[in-house]
Amino acid sequence: MAGHCGARVMAAPLRRRAAGGARWVCGAAAQRPWKLFGAMCLLRLPRITQPLEKMEEEMAALMEQIELEKSHYSDHEIRKLGEEEQLRKMKESSYDEDEALGKTVIMAQDLEEKWEQKFLQFKAAPRITDADKNNDRTSLNRKLDSNLMLLVKQKIGNQELWLLPQVEWQPGETLRSTAERAMATFLGDHIQAKVLGNAPYGIYKYKFPRAIRTENNVGAKVFFFKAFLQSSDLSQAELKADHLWVTKKELGDYLKLEYLKKVNRFLLDL
Amino acid sequence: MIDLRDIPQWRGGFVSHGDPEDKQLIERGDPCNLLLPYPKLSLRQRSLLSHLLWKEERVATARENRLCAADNVLLGCHRSYRSRPTHGIGKFKYLLPKEVPKKRKEKVQMKEIDAGTEYHYGDVNIQMTSYDLCLVEHFAQYVHRLCNRLSIRVNESYAMPTKTNEVLFMEERGSKMQLDAVLTTHQRVVQIRGLSSTFAPILLEIIQSSQPEGVHLLMKQHTEADFKSRLKSRPELEELLAEMS
Repeated sequence: MAGHCGARVMAAPLRRRAAGGARWVCGAAAQRPWKLFGAMCLLRLPRITQPLEKMEEEMAALMEQIELEKSHYSDHEIRKLGEEEQLRKMKESSYDEDEALGKTVIMAQDLEEKWEQKFLQFKAAPRITDADKNNDRTSLNRKLDSNLMLLVKQKIGNQELWLLPQVEWQPGETLRSTAERAMATFLGDHIQAKVLGNAPYGIYKYKFPRAIRTENNVGAKVFFFKAFLQSSDLSQAELKADHLWVTKKELGDYLKLEYLKKVNRFLLDL
Repeated sequence: MIDLRDIPQWRGGFVSHGDPEDKQLIERGDPCNLLLPYPKLSLRQRSLLSHLLWKEERVATARENRLCAADNVLLGCHRSYRSRPTHGIGKFKYLLPKEVPKKRKEKVQMKEIDAGTEYHYGDVNIQMTSYDLCLVEHFAQYVHRLCNRLSIRVNESYAMPTKTNEVLFMEERGSKMQLDAVLTTHQRVVQIRGLSSTFAPILLEIIQSSQPEGVHLLMKQHTEADFKSRLKSRPELEELLAEMS
């Protein structure tokens, strides 16, 4: 994995201790006992709206009916009604009015039929894609109506864990650029994402197990940043590790409990 | 001399003129209700007091005295009603020179420096565009209310003029037919001020997640060009100015 500095001395169990304040000072890592990591939560925004609930649907239908009954006729409808009247009069009366009708080449009824045909030809894209049916979690085309997050498998200490992509902070760079670097590490450089703000959204702190803990290396703090994926085209991305795109509800399948708790705090699921 | 009776504020509180149930004897000598706040005085005391007050100014004429002596004592018997010749006595505003109301020049805008040490954005415009009028209006209302709830100050919330597009289809199968469709584009703008940079991405995320289908969202800084786009240009005025200079 390019971009990672040296050997990472990190322990496996991510236990949570008493929460402290986030530290922003750009000092040398050796002076502080905490290792800093920047992690990126890459979100793909929903493409379509969520389906309406039963009550919402009923309400919408009722409102539509009320509005229809209260509304006035549009130009097209008036024209259609007028032409129907003329047709009826023609059939009832003895003399034919072909000359009068000769002006109207296209009748409103014809227009409507034409539009109907066009509408039948139009096929909307399916809301539930193939990826949904296969439950293929690595593709971006699934779950078009909710936020999708990127999870990668990372090796921490001697354990392989599913995490939001994170990378260790190097002195002299901002935490935001650390997070961006993390994103670039796992997805390649040509990712079009918009990072939201310079401030982190969440923090996860944990201490190393006693075996590895030294005076200078008490534990680690992970700072989470959020970004929106602008383009849905990831063909150029070089996916180096195992990755997954999951929704908020599915996060519980992969993340550890304490980590999940902290991550859930800043995830907005509307 | 200005008649105090004509100045309505002088009367102490609400006085019911001609109220038949009001049997309070308001004596002759107190046309200005000076004794109204003191209802507890006996009649004798009141008359003494009023006599003291109005010793020099016997303004009531004989005719009016007779009216006052009637049963329903009206305080307003000295009022110059519209039919009386003394109506309007005491008015003076019409004598003063007329003040021309100042022509208000459109204040361009108050701009704030953004991203200073305070990390505040200046005026931010949230522009919502769509073909569907109801949808865009409802969304604009939603954004406005959201900002109210989050105590973000909303400067103004206005609509830009609608643009009408005519779509012509040219079919080349056999007879050339032209099908017309008329599309109207509506735009609503909500202007915000004082957005802190720590909160801005959260707000953006909320608005983006609740964006309905078919609505374009655009958030940008407010500039003078945006302001000018709302005003109509006056070609004749510009021509004259060009000729003059």
